[in-house]
Amino acid sequence: MSEAILEAPGSGAPETLANPVEQAISALKERFPEAVVDDPRDGYSGLVVPADKLTEVALALRDDLGFDYLSSVTGVDLIEDGKLEAVYHTYSIDKGGSAVVLHVQVDRDNPVIPSLVPVWPGADFQEREAWDLLGIQFDGHPDLRRILTWDGFHGHPLRKDWKEPFYEEDTKPFGSRWPAGGVLRAEELNPYGQNVQYPAGWVPTGDEYDVETEMYAITGADLAYSIDASQQMKTDKITVNLGPQHPSTHGVFRMVVQLDGETVVDLKPVMGYLHRNHEKIGERNTFLGNIPYTDRLDYLSPISNNLGYVLAVEKLLGSVVPERAEWIRILTVELTRIANHLWAIGFLLNDLGALQTPMLYFYIERELILDFFEALTGARMMNNYMRFGGVAYDLPDEIRGQATMEFLNELVHERLPRAIEQGDNLMTHNEIVRARSIGVGVLTRKESIAYSMAGPMLRASGVNYDVRKAEPYSYYEQLDFDIPVYYNGDVYDRYKVRMDELQQSLRIVRQVLPHLQATEGAPIIDGKPSYAIRTPQPGEAYGRVENPKGELGFYVTAKRRSSSPERYHVRAPSFINLTSLGKMCQGHKVADIVVILGSIDIVLGEVDR
Amino acid sequence: MTFGQIALWGLVVGFVMSMVIITGFAYTTLLERKVLARMQARVGPNRAGYIPLPGRGGQEKKLLAGFLQPAADAVKLFFKEDPTPGKADKVVYNIAPMLAVIPAILILAVIPWAGKIPGLVPEQYSYFAIVPGLNVAVLFVLAVTSISVYGVVLAGWASNSKYAVLGGIRASAQMISYELAMSLSVLVPVMIANSMDLGVIVEAQRGGWIVFLQPVAAVIFCIAALAELQRAPFDLLEAEQELSAGFNVEYAGMRFGMFFMAEYMKMVSLSAIAATLFFGGYRGPFVDQVPVLGFVYLFVKIFIGLFLMIWIRATFPRLRYDQLMLFGWKRLLPISVINFMIVAVFIVLAQEGVFAPITRLFGF
Repeated sequence: MSEAILEAPGSGAPETLANPVEQAISALKERFPEAVVDDPRDGYSGLVVPADKLTEVALALRDDLGFDYLSSVTGVDLIEDGKLEAVYHTYSIDKGGSAVVLHVQVDRDNPVIPSLVPVWPGADFQEREAWDLLGIQFDGHPDLRRILTWDGFHGHPLRKDWKEPFYEEDTKPFGSRWPAGGVLRAEELNPYGQNVQYPAGWVPTGDEYDVETEMYAITGADLAYSIDASQQMKTDKITVNLGPQHPSTHGVFRMVVQLDGETVVDLKPVMGYLHRNHEKIGERNTFLGNIPYTDRLDYLSPISNNLGYVLAVEKLLGSVVPERAEWIRILTVELTRIANHLWAIGFLLNDLGALQTPMLYFYIERELILDFFEALTGARMMNNYMRFGGVAYDLPDEIRGQATMEFLNELVHERLPRAIEQGDNLMTHNEIVRARSIGVGVLTRKESIAYSMAGPMLRASGVNYDVRKAEPYSYYEQLDFDIPVYYNGDVYDRYKVRMDELQQSLRIVRQVLPHLQATEGAPIIDGKPSYAIRTPQPGEAYGRVENPKGELGFYVTAKRRSSSPERYHVRAPSFINLTSLGKMCQGHKVADIVVILGSIDIVLGEVDR
Repeated sequence: MTFGQIALWGLVVGFVMSMVIITGFAYTTLLERKVLARMQARVGPNRAGYIPLPGRGGQEKKLLAGFLQPAADAVKLFFKEDPTPGKADKVVYNIAPMLAVIPAILILAVIPWAGKIPGLVPEQYSYFAIVPGLNVAVLFVLAVTSISVYGVVLAGWASNSKYAVLGGIRASAQMISYELAMSLSVLVPVMIANSMDLGVIVEAQRGGWIVFLQPVAAVIFCIAALAELQRAPFDLLEAEQELSAGFNVEYAGMRFGMFFMAEYMKMVSLSAIAATLFFGGYRGPFVDQVPVLGFVYLFVKIFIGLFLMIWIRATFPRLRYDQLMLFGWKRLLPISVINFMIVAVFIVLAQEGVFAPITRLFGF
């Protein structure tokens, strides 16, 4: 650990006189008079930008105003105004602070917005998602295909007038599934049987694979062979589908890889096999009822997801969180980070071929953390623990027959440090680990910002950016911890960032424990625990937390007197981190694909949503 | 004994030894699963079969829990559906597992299991083996181990699957790269013992194991043998994380099992060869007085070899394809060539009597 380059948080940042967001907004308004205006709606904070000026505004933000990090791209269906709106959240890596939000409203029948991929390559997948789910056409996008739903899907499900086949037919109760009557087949009992409306001209019998010709055409756009210069010999390139059933894709994730021998020429991630339209579900749920659904996003760090969502809604509600609840939140979230990183590092080494041994050793301690969660929340993984204005339960009296504080003290002072040190000693300087991971999957600082990478991926590329420091939430401002930053941007540095973050999280938990002891018996929730919450203020809120995988953001908009969000969008770090996968893998070997994917640390529950 | 008697004797011994090793292979899988599990803080297979013993407090203790696991595995493999992929090359696809197993059994023919046991070994031979006294035994071993790659390559090719082809290609490249280093390191004991007969090589280690004379060759042989066996960290051709299972991805049932049979039997036989060439073979204390002890010593040495291989598998990450090639061609091969030449020069010098004054100085 001695080589770690730890940067003191915000030490070099000069004191800015005014809020950088306000500065940027006024500068933009000056530069684009009349075109760029404040969002007039109640509770909205961003700017409204006309579609034709969007690229210029984005360039100005990125190059002149320092808002060089595009965090989130999404859309909202404003059906009452007959408009579709695209929402962009941009942040400043150097200055930190909150976002400059851009709203672009276009006609609902002809929703064309210029693509921001030339400005921020990280907008790629997010724009595809917005096209897929909302039908916003991004003009100039290099590869505007569906991403989460499948090619044969009909319509754009997040539009408010989209009807789910069978369940949302206009006439209810449901019509007969067999209009002529008298026929009932087993497959007809499948409620999803008629969920698909095939595109015109597509015959669902016969060669089903034809649907993906578009994708294969893109991967095979170059010559289908390469020429060996010495012998003038043509060698075929082959296209290999890694996944969706594959031991190392961390779930049902698929990569269409074009290989020249063992070398990767091109790689396209294909996702959506686990897609359940989490956002549509969230828009049907009440605000409170949606908390357990967020567990299922990144199911390895459910409490962190809870926190992100709860923070976003608390902004709308204006709740005040009691002190003890904040400390418990930090405790659980940091323990989640440790559990997640133990898992991630173990899996990365497993992907390197170290047949599960490091992974299983890390799991021994991870189990203890899960034991704590079980005693605290009643569940080992899907915890459903946070509530608006606090947490659900106070700390338990005992865990596995041991007093809670005693258990926690032993965990963070003895067992976890020992396990981390053991793993560090075994693996960090292992010759094969170093040979396999140094120089593999490199992202430079510039690229990692442009690709909207987040979390350990960003910090391994030399970007000192952590939401806990850049825009502190909860009590992180009061805590003393460092942000580990490494500068090579390869797999090895990502591994080391995670190793160091384990230490920093332990440091945070150690500082939290005395506070927990001091606030024993204090309230853990603002007001009474309630099954229904009062309807929040209308407006938009973007709550983001530093999840173990990166910046997890929840964009929530609410209408007046509505018990469920009008729009609920998840900025999923795993999903957006995958944008650069193809770029990182090019020129590497087949074996490296798996390692690079492992170093991103994806969870498919979050990627596919 | 007449020629016919010796042939009959060889058949009987060969049958018995093959059966012993085939059963032993099953228990090698159990050993691997148990040892791996212990190294990974797990329990390993402990359900199939145990010996109940009365324990404290009325509970029964389970002795040797899991010792029937190999039988259960075999039954499962035999009764599984064993489909042939539609577009596979059916003949080659079906032959490939056999091509993998046959060489693995053939290697057993030349391993000297024990010294001259009166009554068990024909009088004209000095040690116990299925084919004793084969004067090209080392060449035979090298030839047979190289043949075994055909099973893998053909399986990969015939499966008509991209993963399998990639695995097969990796297998052939890996085999070629490591064959050379392995042959050159095998030649060192041959030169020292001045014979290719494995029994003679063992007897040449009466004074001391060759590993003490030539640790470099022994290390190179062990690394190259790992690569020949396609064991971790050289198990690129069935790299689970990359190619899901590599060359055997399309196989199921006992044909899939046969590849593992080949792998584990080769583990046993190459451990035996390594022990024979560098670690004194069946030799050990009192083996001259009680020749049957040779079986025990060789078994212990094989067991240590197996254990090391399992240990390595549990601890090391896998090399990448290009790193594997680089290591084979740029590191192992030059070292073994230089080592081979040094040994050759020293042997010639010793024969010319250059070292005679020095040895005389030390009173030899």
